[in-house]
Amino acid sequence: MLGDDPFERLAIPNAMVAVDAILRHPRRVMFQLRQPVAGRLIVFMILVSVACSLVYGVVAGTFSGGSQLWIAPVKMSLGLMLSALICLPSLYIFTCLSGSQARLTEVSGLLSGLLMLMTILLIGFAPVVWIFSQSTDSLPWMGALHLTFWFIATVFGLRFLEAGFSHSQARSRAGFYTWVVIFVLVAVQMTAALRPILGTSQTFLPQEKKFFLTHWGDCMSAGESSGNSRR
Amino acid sequence: MTAALAIPKLIDAFLHAKSEAFHDWVSRRPMKLAVFCVAAIVLGTGIYGAVMGSWRAPLQALYTGIKLPLAILLTTAGNGLLNGMLAPLLGLNVTFRQSLAAVLVSFAIASLVLAALSPVALFLVWNTPPLTSGTRLTSPEYGFLQLALAVFVALAGVTGNVRLLPVLRQWAQNAAAPRKVLLAWLAVNLFLGSQICWVLRPFIWDSKRPVEFIGPEYFQGSFFETVFQAAWRLICP
Repeated sequence: MLGDDPFERLAIPNAMVAVDAILRHPRRVMFQLRQPVAGRLIVFMILVSVACSLVYGVVAGTFSGGSQLWIAPVKMSLGLMLSALICLPSLYIFTCLSGSQARLTEVSGLLSGLLMLMTILLIGFAPVVWIFSQSTDSLPWMGALHLTFWFIATVFGLRFLEAGFSHSQARSRAGFYTWVVIFVLVAVQMTAALRPILGTSQTFLPQEKKFFLTHWGDCMSAGESSGNSRR
Repeated sequence: MTAALAIPKLIDAFLHAKSEAFHDWVSRRPMKLAVFCVAAIVLGTGIYGAVMGSWRAPLQALYTGIKLPLAILLTTAGNGLLNGMLAPLLGLNVTFRQSLAAVLVSFAIASLVLAALSPVALFLVWNTPPLTSGTRLTSPEYGFLQLALAVFVALAGVTGNVRLLPVLRQWAQNAAAPRKVLLAWLAVNLFLGSQICWVLRPFIWDSKRPVEFIGPEYFQGSFFETVFQAAWRLICP
């Protein structure tokens, strides 16, 4: 049971403690999300997620430089928050249908935890991204690298969410797994909806709609034909 | 004089240490241990790097003697944060300092193994004719030298990691966690380390360029793109 360990009952007073807790004692975060003051913890986690995604975005923006130094972080942070916002209602509904006793605040908190864990892991990957951003001109390669790191970070984030879900007395996990597929699809489509994140463009947002697989395919073809596709 | 006598004793104690002792050092004195490990890395890989570079020229020996420890220390620093995050996430109850010290322990052991293999490497280097005379890039002796030097590095790396596994077990809450953490650390260190080595190249001999610390193409392309392209050429010539 959550809260059996007295350590889990210790309040999380600031963002740094929240970061430490989600890495080392995720059960403490899960327990605190069930308390009346969970709102403050959720705000901390969202703020950390925004800050970390902005930092990672700046590092990603160094690939193209120039205006991408602010466009990439803004798009990454925006994309992440929009994906979460779009998927929050479905997560809540699936959680309820699974027989879980979690309320909307707790579900929102678990989703914020997923975002925070994802983005702090991305910060861990940032030095690697920077080295490759400075070394290569290949857009498909950098895109694949970012997607790989995003995927790894998402796996850890989803593990946290699943652990939280398992403590909510849900009878079945089918709804949760369905939601995972939805979340991943929304997030990858966001890479096409907010394109270009790594490369450059005349406009902030794209002028035409594209499915993410078409967008990735176009990036691969452009990379192969141009050789130098940074610009 | 006393310090000079203490160094072999320290190395001896380090090499003979059991996992409990490593665990104790990492837990109680991570900074002291880190300083020792950094010194061992600089010394061990520095000697081995110098041997590698000596095939070409004394200046290349100096450069490679600096670059090889630099590659390891940059990899450790670059992945320090990530390694520190991965450990607790995969079930190991360690702090950032402890995870950094543990990674350094593994690299330090590998470096000492490399230092011990340096005389053998020197023997091989000594016996291989330089690229300017009988040996060409396609010569079997050049291939053998490259392979032997790489095998020594791999052997040292494996030894370092095998010694690290029991140390990690001391912190683990379940049996699978240390293996997972070690594999994760290996993967990320290999990934970044390969690229850092790519940036810091040449280590042995670039026949098209004079002796220099880092080649002019240091930030052009990546190790993995080159490997992928080479593999692609093999499959679709």
